Amino acid sequence: MSDQAHTRTEHDIAPGDEEQHSVGERVIGYVVGLGLALLLTATSFFIAGTDLVWQPSIPVALIVLAIAQMGVHLVFFLHITTGPDNTNNVLALAFGAMVVFLVVGGTVWIMGHLNQNMPPMDQIMQMHR
Amino acid sequence: MLGKLDWSAIPFDQPIPLVAGAIVLVGILAVLIWVVAKGHLPYLWHEWITSVDHKRIGVMYILLASVMLLRGGSDAIMMRIQQAVAYQSQGFLPPEHYNQIFSAHGTIMIFFVAMPFVIGLMNLIVPLQLGVRDVAFPTLNSVGFWLTATGALLVNLSLVVGEFARTGWLAFPPLSELSYSPGVGVDYYAWSLQISGVGTLVAGINLVTTVLKLRTKGMNYLRMPMFCWTTLASNLLIVAAFPILTATLAMLLLDRYLGFHFFTNEAGGNIMMFMNLIWAWGHPEVYILVLPAFGIFSEVVSTFSGKALFGYRSMVLATMAICVISFMVWLHHFFTMGAGPDVNAIFGIASMIIAVPTGVKIYNWLFTMYGGRIRFATPMLWAIGFMVTFIVGGLTGVLLAVPPADFMLHNSMFLVAHFHNVIIGGVLFGAFAGFEYWFPKAFGFRLDERWGKLAFWFTFLGFYVTFVPLYVAGMLGMTRRMQHYDVAEWRPWMFVAAAGMAVLSIGVICQIVQIVVSIRNREALRDRTGDPWDGRSLEWATSSPPPVFNFAFHPDVRGEDAYWDMKTRAQQQSLEHEAPEYHDIEMPRNSPTGFICAFFATIMGFALIWHIWWMVILGGIGAFATFVVFAWRDHDEYVIPAEEVAAIDRINLEERRSLVSMAGAV
Amino acid sequence: MAMTATVGHAHADPHHIGVVIEHPGPASKRIVTAYGFWVFLLSDIVMFSCFFAAYAVLVSQTAGGPRGSEIFEQRNVAIETVCLLLSSFTCGMASIAADVRNRFWFYLGMTVTCVLGLIFLVIEFREFADLVARGYGPSRSAFLTSFFSLVGCHGLHVSAGILWLLTMMAQVFGKGFRADVLRRMMCFALFWHALDIVWVGVFSVVYLLGSGV
Repeated sequence: MSDQAHTRTEHDIAPGDEEQHSVGERVIGYVVGLGLALLLTATSFFIAGTDLVWQPSIPVALIVLAIAQMGVHLVFFLHITTGPDNTNNVLALAFGAMVVFLVVGGTVWIMGHLNQNMPPMDQIMQMHR
Repeated sequence: MLGKLDWSAIPFDQPIPLVAGAIVLVGILAVLIWVVAKGHLPYLWHEWITSVDHKRIGVMYILLASVMLLRGGSDAIMMRIQQAVAYQSQGFLPPEHYNQIFSAHGTIMIFFVAMPFVIGLMNLIVPLQLGVRDVAFPTLNSVGFWLTATGALLVNLSLVVGEFARTGWLAFPPLSELSYSPGVGVDYYAWSLQISGVGTLVAGINLVTTVLKLRTKGMNYLRMPMFCWTTLASNLLIVAAFPILTATLAMLLLDRYLGFHFFTNEAGGNIMMFMNLIWAWGHPEVYILVLPAFGIFSEVVSTFSGKALFGYRSMVLATMAICVISFMVWLHHFFTMGAGPDVNAIFGIASMIIAVPTGVKIYNWLFTMYGGRIRFATPMLWAIGFMVTFIVGGLTGVLLAVPPADFMLHNSMFLVAHFHNVIIGGVLFGAFAGFEYWFPKAFGFRLDERWGKLAFWFTFLGFYVTFVPLYVAGMLGMTRRMQHYDVAEWRPWMFVAAAGMAVLSIGVICQIVQIVVSIRNREALRDRTGDPWDGRSLEWATSSPPPVFNFAFHPDVRGEDAYWDMKTRAQQQSLEHEAPEYHDIEMPRNSPTGFICAFFATIMGFALIWHIWWMVILGGIGAFATFVVFAWRDHDEYVIPAEEVAAIDRINLEERRSLVSMAGAV
Repeated sequence: MAMTATVGHAHADPHHIGVVIEHPGPASKRIVTAYGFWVFLLSDIVMFSCFFAAYAVLVSQTAGGPRGSEIFEQRNVAIETVCLLLSSFTCGMASIAADVRNRFWFYLGMTVTCVLGLIFLVIEFREFADLVARGYGPSRSAFLTSFFSLVGCHGLHVSAGILWLLTMMAQVFGKGFRADVLRRMMCFALFWHALDIVWVGVFSVVYLLGSGV
């Protein structure tokens, strides 16, 4: 299967691989990524424990920060970019993200409605009391 | 020392499973003795068991599926007879045995017949259609097959050692929880699915990577044969859906083994979450099965109509649309659970929408046939039979997608008839079409047409005689999974269904006879050119059976229907081939990794089922060690020298040239 | 044979929109391997999403047991998070070292990654052991069930990652920076970074959001 393997890096790139960079540039990439990740993490922990912000906004803020940090990890550690050589990797990621969204979102939505229409066992028990 | 295992695990008081188990055991022993006595063992070991060749692995998958089809089919026969006789009586199957049979029937038919059959066909054909030498990960491919076989082995083991689940094929809690199913049945079910699920996931990853990353020169996405597209869609679904099954069964197992409370009645567990999660896998699963069948029909219809597939791009679009929408409809399996009108309405509408791309496909096949020169060979018969049957099944499905109607028909025999209608009419007919169509490619000789047609007609008619009565019984209010009943109106329909089952069985027997007859007459049926059906895609561009390297050169593709294109050009240019220059070819070496891994997985699975913890640890260490040993090997490829490639390729080239010049002379 | 039936199908690709970029042929082994592993990671993340969904459904089902805010210790979680983030960084350093075939930096990077991973596991294990000792084990309530299985599943992945890491170091020691070893190293780096992404979800959803419920 690997006869005269066509190494066509200009069209395709392995997920996790970077385009040609020197060692210094690559290290800097990781340093920037680590810095951003630590910053976002610190913000998350701060927001969660503070009463400085409007309380109902906290869950939204935490989710936004988490998604932002996942993005930072993807770009700086996993080297997923918007370049044409990364199309396949990004498409696979998008498909995975869609399924995750459907499974988690769908489950929460369905089960939420269920609990509303048919309360869980222990609540029924409590109602009978 | 042996956990829960003792002599009471073997059902000495139940003659049916014991006799069946004994027969199977004697059969296996007889085959083994024959193999050893005839000295075939080294051949079997070197050429099949340790093989990493995608064609061999594909054949083994199909063989596994066929054997399990007979097992699942005997369960079906027993159920039909039971329901025919169990009017105001207990019939011949006691309830706990009957419950095991319908659970095993569903589990086996979906996981160990339909899945391995379609995965086997994809394995066998997709690399050939893409014009490459193997799948992306040949050794993993072998691991995947053997893990599937492990799952099948464990399910069959439950026949004699212990028991199988009595919970239906999806093991709904709370019935499947430890308090209501204290035996090992559910554990057999869950562990065999976990192990074979890993195998399926491996196969899925492998085939996705193969289609996306290993294509021959010029095989752009929109030049891939339709079967490759449906393979891609189906395997994307495997990769996205099977982890859900793994997670859900893991939760059930945690409940059973460690006293967790995911799905229990107490401590806040939520039974409904199991339905929700299992069907989030379960609905994509039906498309995992049927999409490859759609691909097979596309190939068959286009080949036997002598035309390019009508509406290729709309077909691609419909395939990918199904791939996405199939993740948005799972609630229609539990409309009656009580999620309320808005949730039900949205999932009902999504379920109706998913019928649209399927309809697009049906029209595309019809228009492909329109104006074509149709040859009614056996694969084409299956394809036409499929179209008729699948439309009926699809329409009853749309009916069930309407929530108010579903409230009436939920868990009735109508539902049973519906899903058999789509799975037999869609997946099984597709698998048979693919089997008849690609058998010459795999073995080098065609199958006997006369017996093939007989098999088709018996199966086709038998199907209707069996399942139309079940629709009626469902309308009369009969629910599924009844061990006995007291309603006189149902009885005649159950008799008809049992008679239909007999006709279906004749169809299966015809199929077996067909194989035997064809093997006997193989010289007369020999396919020398590698292109017995006047095919259109690249698998027909190599000899039958293909050499281990598939193609001496990576074919150069310039359009859709790559091989048809080559044939046309070859005719026009009156065949002035210069002698091609051959190169050495590197192929992956055979490896026993898959087999050894499955051996340890079997030990581990069995030990987990019976709570034999030291054996679990032993199995785990063994499996890890196998992979480390595999990772340590220094030579993972061997070289086929250019002269050998040339010698093999020239023979086929000669045959092919004489064929083309004959056709040119006509 | 009916080969003469439909001649004149030379333009099999009728919709040439602009220029068709010809597919160059099979990709290199490095791309194939990494892509396959990438697809596996996505499937693994889908599996995690089920445990996340279960947690979201069961988080309020405490059955009279403790709530999240009563058992979570923010400080421990912060230390765990920093460990994992740093280990992701050192793992990145190790993969750069592997690419330039520098043994010293490779071993150093991998060792630090391993130590950080072990610290993470020890903290997590102590948290679990402490909860079980207080009678708040996974069988106490559905909330604790979902908590233990989600966090534990991530912990199992980290444990498997450490086993893999040690195997990788042994491989480099025994075989050097061979092409197949480098491919596996690339997959390992993907795995380790992906676990970090999952952990971001875990600490945000379970520990931070969960203590607010």
